[in-house]
Amino acid sequence: MGSSVKTESNLKDSSSKKINFAEIIKRHGILFVFLLMIIGISLRTDSFLTQNNMLLVLRQVSVKGIIACGMTYMLIGGEFDLSVGSLVSLTAVLVIDFHDILGPFAAIIIAILAGISVGAFNGFLVGFLKLNSLIVTFGMLFVIQALTLLYTGGQYVSVSNQGATWFSIIGRGFIFGIPIPVIIFGIILIIFGVVLSKTVYGRYLYSVGGNPIASKFSGIPKTYITFSTFIITGLTAAIGGIILGSRLMSAQNYLGQGYEFDIITAVVLGGTSLFGGSGSIPKTLIGVLILGFLSNGFIMMGFPYYVQWVVQWAILIGAVWMDVASKRGKILA
Amino acid sequence: MKKRFITVILCLTLVFVLVGCGSSGDEAAPDIDEVVIGITNNNVGIDSYQTTHYETFREEAEELGVETVRLDATGDPALQVNQIEDLIQQQVDVIVVWPVSGDAIVPAVRNANQQGIPVLIANSPIDESGFELVEGFAGPDNLTQGKYAAQMMKEALDGEGKVVELMGLPGYVTAHQRSDGFNEEVENYSGIEVIETQPADWDRSRAQEVMEDFLTKFPSGQIDGVYAADDNIAMGAINALEEAGRLDEVKITSATMFGDGYDAMKEGKIYGTIYQSPVEDARKTVQTAVRIATGEEVEFFNYFDTPKVTLDNIDEYERPIW
Repeated sequence: MGSSVKTESNLKDSSSKKINFAEIIKRHGILFVFLLMIIGISLRTDSFLTQNNMLLVLRQVSVKGIIACGMTYMLIGGEFDLSVGSLVSLTAVLVIDFHDILGPFAAIIIAILAGISVGAFNGFLVGFLKLNSLIVTFGMLFVIQALTLLYTGGQYVSVSNQGATWFSIIGRGFIFGIPIPVIIFGIILIIFGVVLSKTVYGRYLYSVGGNPIASKFSGIPKTYITFSTFIITGLTAAIGGIILGSRLMSAQNYLGQGYEFDIITAVVLGGTSLFGGSGSIPKTLIGVLILGFLSNGFIMMGFPYYVQWVVQWAILIGAVWMDVASKRGKILA
Repeated sequence: MKKRFITVILCLTLVFVLVGCGSSGDEAAPDIDEVVIGITNNNVGIDSYQTTHYETFREEAEELGVETVRLDATGDPALQVNQIEDLIQQQVDVIVVWPVSGDAIVPAVRNANQQGIPVLIANSPIDESGFELVEGFAGPDNLTQGKYAAQMMKEALDGEGKVVELMGLPGYVTAHQRSDGFNEEVENYSGIEVIETQPADWDRSRAQEVMEDFLTKFPSGQIDGVYAADDNIAMGAINALEEAGRLDEVKITSATMFGDGYDAMKEGKIYGTIYQSPVEDARKTVQTAVRIATGEEVEFFNYFDTPKVTLDNIDEYERPIW
């Protein structure tokens, strides 16, 4: 809803009959980038565009992708959560450690509760006390790291009898040839996409991030909306941690470190604005896929890592530029 | 005239006293029970190796009866520089630095050197420009560990095969040395070829992802060996290989053994690795530091023993707790 309102206002700014180049880039540019990338890589290597490799990449991106769905809500609502990477390690460690004590089902519940609690705490500080979300969650990143470190003492925790539990199915299993993490990712994509585009909650979210003052006067409960986005992001981080724990059947404190950067990059690549108020779940999926296929494609082509870092940076700058350019209706300043 | 003479005398006396105080540390080396060792660690707790090193360092120092000031740079080069300055201010007898960055610490080490406080580098090397400023290095010989891993790979493959390499975090000296050692040794073997190298960042989940990509890129029969910079990375690779059902096709060697790598070797999943004990590492470091502080001459490179381990001799070693 919100994004279409913006689109109209942009069209009014420029002459409405001429085709606005910036507008085309803004709307479909990232798709072009994605298709060009896929074609480019598959021309250079045969094993890239195969069904197996596609499924492989989908599974590799599913953990970050699930959290990126939560992060999309977060950015649309105009806030940040930098603590998701640490939360992945905490929940992964919890689920693995409690697996042997209380069994897999209880361990999953505990990990999810931990994710929601951390999210609620962040949300309380940002929503109710109106503290800056960057500062709050940046601090939380280290607090959770410290907690995980204290809890594990820097040691690996792993499931002792890996053959005797159904827990590994979550990360390693398949249904009709499709990896289960990908199925979970798919379900979350659909739920998040529908809620964002078809419900009152979604409309409120766009309005809180896009125009906080107007939304205040129209009686939208901004405090609760912000609070809820932190709980949602915490929940997605916990789901990510559980899947990762199940894939590895072990966990350590640095698992998931730095994920926040990849995830925010993916969401911004997809065209969600860093300023709040616009973005969509399908585009976040494209952003996530771009990062995943890049990383996979580089290895397929045998590029050294430093090339990957530069290219990843260049693509991100391109995406942010599109965002800024479309906001002012011009390519250059 | 007489007044001025007295003033001069007083000034000279003051200078002598001050100089005397300042240099007393150099003149007479302290007894062992007066020694204070300051250490700034790389990043305690990031992995079990560093956690164990940190604990052993304390225990060994207690055993020898020396006092320690133990700081942790938490992986931040700037913080480490500040910590070295702090240790200089505290006038410890020897500063031990486990470098976060081999280059960034050079100016701070030069400062310590000018203040007459000896510096010992631990575990990861300092940049060569800092060699003349430090008393020595205590820690593992990562280049040799890489070479050992290559020798075991040759054994495992009977001198013939294609190998992919999963290295540590680029920019971390240990990662590059283990990679260089392996590749230098492999150049001597005509039959062994490293077909690709990618970083796995010391991270098990990253190692699994990269290995999955390798397995797609190189179909069955095109990879004979995997060289992992440590067992953490090897375990990630094993996960990927098992899932693809191709574990039997490859031999794995790694440059450092960890606890689950020990189990994996007993199950026949890892062919060879190197026993690099953080306990030995920390002990060697404390002992070398104490010798420096008490005025003994030490060698520049103080390596502790890092033997090869395969299924043949694994029972001589305890399962690592790190």
